[in-house]
Amino acid sequence: MRKQGYWGFIFTFPFLLQLVVFFIFPFLFSLYLTFTKWDLFNPPQWVGLKNWIQFLSRETFWLSLRNILYFSILFVPLQTAFALILAYLLNRQIAGKSLFRMVYFLPVITPWVAGGMIWLWIYHNDYGILNWLLERLRLSPVDWVRSGHWWIVIGSIAVVNIWKGAGYSMVLILAGMQNISNEMVEAARMDGASGWTLFAKITLPIVSPMVYMVMILSTISAFHAFDVFLVMLGDITAVADRNLVPNILIYRDAFMNFKMGGASAMAWGLFFIILATTLMQKKLEKRWVHYE
Amino acid sequence: MNRPSAALQWIVYLVLVAGAVIMLIPFFWMISTSLMKAGNELTLPPKLIPDPVMWSNYKTVWLEVNFVRYTMNSVFVTVLELIGMVASCAIVAYGLAFFQFRGRNLIFLAMLGTMMLPSQITMIPTYFIWKSFGALDTFYPLILRSFLGGAFGIFLLHQFFKTLPRELFDAAYVDGANPWKIFYMIYMPLSKPALSALAVFTFISAWNNTLEPLIYLQDKKMYTLPLGLLFLKNEVENRMTLIMAGAVITVLPVLIVFLFAQKHFVQGIASTGMKG
Repeated sequence: MRKQGYWGFIFTFPFLLQLVVFFIFPFLFSLYLTFTKWDLFNPPQWVGLKNWIQFLSRETFWLSLRNILYFSILFVPLQTAFALILAYLLNRQIAGKSLFRMVYFLPVITPWVAGGMIWLWIYHNDYGILNWLLERLRLSPVDWVRSGHWWIVIGSIAVVNIWKGAGYSMVLILAGMQNISNEMVEAARMDGASGWTLFAKITLPIVSPMVYMVMILSTISAFHAFDVFLVMLGDITAVADRNLVPNILIYRDAFMNFKMGGASAMAWGLFFIILATTLMQKKLEKRWVHYE
Repeated sequence: MNRPSAALQWIVYLVLVAGAVIMLIPFFWMISTSLMKAGNELTLPPKLIPDPVMWSNYKTVWLEVNFVRYTMNSVFVTVLELIGMVASCAIVAYGLAFFQFRGRNLIFLAMLGTMMLPSQITMIPTYFIWKSFGALDTFYPLILRSFLGGAFGIFLLHQFFKTLPRELFDAAYVDGANPWKIFYMIYMPLSKPALSALAVFTFISAWNNTLEPLIYLQDKKMYTLPLGLLFLKNEVENRMTLIMAGAVITVLPVLIVFLFAQKHFVQGIASTGMKG
């Protein structure tokens, strides 16, 4: 390490500026805004805890929270399981390995708006291929994202999110599987382990830290999800309350209704919930994650 | 390793191919619909292959809905973001990797913090900042920040710099080269793999960015592709053939970049566990 301290300061200066202007100031200002009424144009007015009480007693907020929890509970385990299976199968000597990996990764890099538009078309009530397929199988069609049941709407969107994100989780888990040495697998085979035992006793414990990280990352990304709902829910101003999620609610309150104080309070509320969820997962970590 | 039985191998391939088909069907359906004659997409059972093939759908979206303009905007914003992000992250990561100074550990802590903080919290004050500068409906809010670095890129490059031999720095320094010179004469050429990984990440996240253009750009002339595609349905009366043509135009550039650079991209994720 060099002693010339000022050089380090000069090189890191751009990021210091980024921190102060776009993180520290917004962080503090946003906290302040949660106690004010502000429409962006007139000076903020101090209202105390009113915004906090208001959003906590607002039914729409709790509905949106229910939806995002349901969304995460569907999305996180399913995506992780799907990614784990694909990674496990890809982590052996097979032809076309990199081709498969590339194909699974395609949705990850696809712009959300495009991916969402395609799925809206697949989910189309009358002419979508999914309902046509159901009809061929002599099942009754489903209204998917246009359904009157919130759990079908949110569930359909969770499926799209899995399509979009599974390849990403898979690549991470695959990287974790590189730590499994051939000797270990050989030794287990000598002892008569094969198939399921090999997977459950050798592979799974070794990749468990990576699987855990993937689950934490997907939980956070589920709570942060905005683009997918923006596209799939259609006209934001007209979304039924039962289908809302917190981020859409915050966006709508802030940039369509100009209630900056209320929106900020909700954003902070959501942040605390994400934090609590992550800490809870951290607690559960010891039960199943295996570290060397 | 023992060769698994042939039957097992078949099952493995079957599952992998099934997974690949599920991943690819939406793309196939997008391309197919985008080439259908208006009305042909609304038939039951659906026609999977367009007949006749209507290339003119692309012309309509490209010229009449002005996707040519959106594409140019997207290219402009993405290229500038890319240059800014790669250059600034390299400089900052270099400072963190090769110099010891007061507050260095604090910067690492703050970097983690910025990754934890949801954009919903910083979004409103940030909007206020740009509004105060009169920068609404310009590209400044999308571009300028990337010139100040980002936690993900700095972290990625810092990890890479730490794998490079430190002796090079010492030798050059003793010979009287100043740290800037050492940076761009020695370490930049050595860092091409990491720099290209970051470039690909930045390209994709900048190209796909939707929230910020949505907040900052009102004027249609300023729309980037995702924004143009989001509002396309209002322009073409929900014509699915045209919407899908718009989707293809939006996806294609990022797809091409990915196909050429996927090695960097996948390695970048595997080594840091994050995306931009």
